[in-house]
Amino acid sequence: MRRVGVIGVGVTPFGKHERSSAELFAEAAAEALDDAGLAPTAIQAIYFGNVVGGPAERQLHMGPQAASILGLPWVPTTRFETACATSHAAFRHAVMEVASGTSDVVLVGGAERVLDIPTETATELFAYASDAAFEQPAGLTVPGVFALIARAHMAKYGTTEEQMAHVAVKNHRHGALNPKAQFRKEITLEQVLASPRIADPLKLYDCCPFTDGGAAVLLASEEAARRSRRPVWVLASAAASDAMCLHDKKDLTRALATERAAQTAYRQAGLGPKDVDVVELHDCFTIAEIVATEGLGLFEPGTGGTAAEKGWTSLGGKLPVNPSGGLKAKGHPIGATGAAQIAEIVTQLRGEAGPRQVEGARIGLAHTLGGNTATVLVSLFGLE
Amino acid sequence: MITLQTFFQEARAGRLTGIRCRQCSELAIPPKEFCPSCHQRAWEAVPLAGHGTIASFTVIRVAPRGRTAEAPYAVAVVKLAEGVSLLGRVIDIPFDSLRIGLPVRFRPLLTADRTVVGFGPA
Ligand SMILES: [Zn+2]
Repeated sequence: MRRVGVIGVGVTPFGKHERSSAELFAEAAAEALDDAGLAPTAIQAIYFGNVVGGPAERQLHMGPQAASILGLPWVPTTRFETACATSHAAFRHAVMEVASGTSDVVLVGGAERVLDIPTETATELFAYASDAAFEQPAGLTVPGVFALIARAHMAKYGTTEEQMAHVAVKNHRHGALNPKAQFRKEITLEQVLASPRIADPLKLYDCCPFTDGGAAVLLASEEAARRSRRPVWVLASAAASDAMCLHDKKDLTRALATERAAQTAYRQAGLGPKDVDVVELHDCFTIAEIVATEGLGLFEPGTGGTAAEKGWTSLGGKLPVNPSGGLKAKGHPIGATGAAQIAEIVTQLRGEAGPRQVEGARIGLAHTLGGNTATVLVSLFGLE
Repeated sequence: MITLQTFFQEARAGRLTGIRCRQCSELAIPPKEFCPSCHQRAWEAVPLAGHGTIASFTVIRVAPRGRTAEAPYAVAVVKLAEGVSLLGRVIDIPFDSLRIGLPVRFRPLLTADRTVVGFGPA
């Protein structure tokens, strides 16, 4: 297998847009091409992620639509869907296409547009990522999934609502430094704790927002990447699954798919959690960040809440997590999120993250989780 | 073989059905084609009594389209006495008395065209 490098990244501003998902992806792709210094005609394949475009935009078949907008209607495209992990799953497959020698330059990413539909409709569409026989009829929502996880984690480890609130405060503090973030304002612990309840014990500020946006990453073979000005190397890209239904999961306090994907990724790269300098992980809810830091081996099981509370995961802390602001403050356009996390890690490793830069970061980790924790992708990146 | 359809037909009549692996005794909630433990395909249907305790719960206050009139409502993962867990809607238990470990009992929640797993007071 060939080495694969990231040679360009692009992300639209996150928030409300008046453009279709395919347009948003194309905008991000244009930025990635510009970043790489490549013409669109260098692209040999497009791997595209979108989740709810069918019901939300009455649009399937967005791959060729995006290729057409990019002026490349002949380029082969494939659309991916693994709930919120969609574009990171697309990324892993794009890496395999380049590594296998099938293509030398591949565009990968995704987009989502949901802010033009009512909140209860978006809540329903996102809940389609839970089981349609047992979970959706019971009225389970995505916040409900993580509320069940939060309650179990609190009971087992003594994790508190205050510790979860610290995750939100920290990610908003980071997001305020990110010009592309949906929320660029700091919030207080008191605001989080006093915010309206969504699915007890989760409150509004424990939850990431609905977001429109697109993100794109350009991958190249080692030979092509060596010609680019500052390649970042893909050291590993791993996927794992867990039982679909919450009631089939062995332990609600753990994300087994995160643990499995992380173990595979560390093994592929010949690295361990202690080698990682900067992390972008899936904080769709504050408890999700806590469980992910434990599952990735960054902190001991049960201490993810303490890590947030003590500032270990803040910029300037022992292991900065979500310097972009995370899904919580940067926003979560579900089809774009994985590619946007990867874009942030690449930006960090290049030393181009400005006021949110993690000084001296050489190894970065991106973690993306799908919907009800049944899909997880973990990728590792490095400068060498 | 217990399909989703037969599971919910039985549930509608107040009967909970699990499946037990004849090879390794693993107990599971349908549908499963192969045993997740020994990977054989040797299931037999077993009745579940419907008694259990709450393993985790939440009160959902922002509901999806079509369920907003029902909110707030509680959803729980219930650990059944036989050892498997099952997720369902909590019925007729005040929110402030919900706690992990609370005994509950299976009770289907019926509408004209749908059967939902529910749990009421033990
Ligand atoms: Zn078995």
